[in-house]
Amino acid sequence: MRDKITGWALPALSVLLFLAALGMVFFYAPREATMGDVQRIFYFHVASAWVGFFGFFVTFCGSVAYLLRGARTWDILALASAEVGLAFITMTLLTGMLWAKPAWGAYWIWEPRLTISAVQWVLYVAYSMLRGALDAPERGARFAAVYGIVAFVTVPLSWFAIRWWRTIHPQLLSGGEMAITPPMLTTLLVSLAAFTVLYAALLRARMQLERERDALAALRAAQEGA
Amino acid sequence: MIEFRGVTKAFGAQRALVGVDLSIGAGEWVALTGPNGAGKTTLLRILATLAQPTSGSVRLFGLNPREHGAQIRRQIGYLSHRTLLYPDLSAEQNLRFYARCYGLNDSAARIAPLLEQAQLTARRHDLVATYSRGMQQRLALARVLLHAPPLLLLDEPYTGLDTFAAEELTAQLSQLHGAGCTLVLATHTWEGETFPAQRALILQRGRLIHDAPLGERAAFPALYRQVVTQGTSQPPVNAGVPAAPEAPSAAPEAPSSAPLPGFWRQVGAILAKDLAAEVHTRELLSAMGVFAVLALLIFSFALNMQGHAAGAAVPGVLWTTLAFAGTLGLSRSLAREQGTGGLEGMLLTPVERTAIFAGKALGNWLLMLVVALVLWLLSAVLFNLVLWEAGMLPVLLLGTGGYAVVGTLLAAIAVNTRAREVLLPVLLLPLLIPLLIAAVQATGGLMQGLGAAAGGDWLRLLVVYNLVAVAVALLTFGYVVEE
Repeated sequence: MRDKITGWALPALSVLLFLAALGMVFFYAPREATMGDVQRIFYFHVASAWVGFFGFFVTFCGSVAYLLRGARTWDILALASAEVGLAFITMTLLTGMLWAKPAWGAYWIWEPRLTISAVQWVLYVAYSMLRGALDAPERGARFAAVYGIVAFVTVPLSWFAIRWWRTIHPQLLSGGEMAITPPMLTTLLVSLAAFTVLYAALLRARMQLERERDALAALRAAQEGA
Repeated sequence: MIEFRGVTKAFGAQRALVGVDLSIGAGEWVALTGPNGAGKTTLLRILATLAQPTSGSVRLFGLNPREHGAQIRRQIGYLSHRTLLYPDLSAEQNLRFYARCYGLNDSAARIAPLLEQAQLTARRHDLVATYSRGMQQRLALARVLLHAPPLLLLDEPYTGLDTFAAEELTAQLSQLHGAGCTLVLATHTWEGETFPAQRALILQRGRLIHDAPLGERAAFPALYRQVVTQGTSQPPVNAGVPAAPEAPSAAPEAPSSAPLPGFWRQVGAILAKDLAAEVHTRELLSAMGVFAVLALLIFSFALNMQGHAAGAAVPGVLWTTLAFAGTLGLSRSLAREQGTGGLEGMLLTPVERTAIFAGKALGNWLLMLVVALVLWLLSAVLFNLVLWEAGMLPVLLLGTGGYAVVGTLLAAIAVNTRAREVLLPVLLLPLLIPLLIAAVQATGGLMQGLGAAAGGDWLRLLVVYNLVAVAVALLTFGYVVEE
């Protein structure tokens, strides 16, 4: 029963929050003085970047827990979070490029935050490719867990390495104060909430799919063994 | 000696062993049989500590394999389907390497009679790759007996042997059994094999369906067919199995062995083995070196730069070339272990998993350093630059070191995947981004004559990268090699 409620409650909440976020982005948040309407993409860009990074962190946690405990649930969590995270980090890159063209005059600039997003995207893709290239389920899960851990711990190092180059990215914080107005901040927070709930709904659905795949494989194995 | 309680081993949804209960006493000779895919090899691999059960408990020599793996592995000899010998080493080098892994003090005295017994004394310096199947099997048995284990696990040992060789093997095993060895021998065919086992186990679809004294040898094939066809045993499992005999008074004479070799001695043994194989084949160094030189020549031709422009571009060119050349060597280094079963051979010994990793990573590091030195010299000629500044050595050591550590870990993963060599660069290069940025920036700073201090921050980043990489690799490598 609880599962059923969660099953429709999360997507429903996600839809409601997205409607609210869209309304606020286009009708509540003020037009940014320098960049104009193109700045509105920022609410999706930042929110998807946050979820993309959070998804990577969840994959890291699931990977550590799987190596320590060996329970399949942790592996499923790591796998599902990586796949969902890849979708969000892809969105981050696309919205970043759409923003960059009018703002900086080019779709792509080797700017630190954009670069670290690209690094994360490549890591997610590599993780997904690794999962697709494995046959032995248990061993494959261990390999993926090890890669999930190694990949996550290199992200801060990549960040420091890239950050030591000059940044031209707009700053949220400027001189200790927020560079955006309170309505902008409220809109951003609603957008963050919408993306986070969407992430949770997609994560849950993907985990459920993987569990059902396991159950099907077990049924097939039992049928063949009978 | 061996206690299995409710042992189940699953590979995903497939169960290779299902609730196996089994006791084997010291001095028994047990034949383990069953159709293809019955779970014989899985059972032997759990006994050899190469695999862990999914559920149930295993005790070997009264010890838990998870807690006392090294202690148990010193007492087990496992003859696998594969010989687990390095074809690029001689018979003597193979045995010497394994003797070092087991920490045998008197390896020369131990190796000589084993080579004599295997009738390989005259060819002890020849590469194993030049041996016939029968010679390799005899050498594999010598490897198994090197540390005089009281428990022998033999997986289809008669495969590929002619009648005479099979008779010789039976005679040798009978002699070992007579000396007090416990033998567990897996086979799926009984025709033509005359080994005098005392007890027969039949596995079918992972279940132990028959466990009884072998009885009359000639009657067993008929009984086997009947049991496998019916899927059950008459008498039932474990009925009529004699109590485990007392350990015989004439136990096999164990070679004198020191306490387990220390971590760095283990690392040294693996490193020496890899270098010896490389001396024979030169396949890693030549592949990496030729690729790196070719790439640098192409860069030099395509960029056609000198002076300041070259100074700005060359650090990136050098480290990119080195990064791509490195993936070739790493792939091959681990694929060689995978192909020969060498990694499995090491896992059967008491050598620590971290020592295996360190040995492999050190070998890869040395190869990368050699390639880096060649690249640096060639760059000085092609781009007319002074590449050797004080402070370049730590950049080279740390840059190649971090690469070798992360690369060895990922190569151990990639080698077990379908895509293998293709997947390694995809997995590895994104993880090398901070290392490559720092190495390129530090090299560039030094080449522009800014001195060692200019690259200080980048050097610190390289040190941190190396420390993090070593820590993570040592913590996780065990999970990578575990079955």
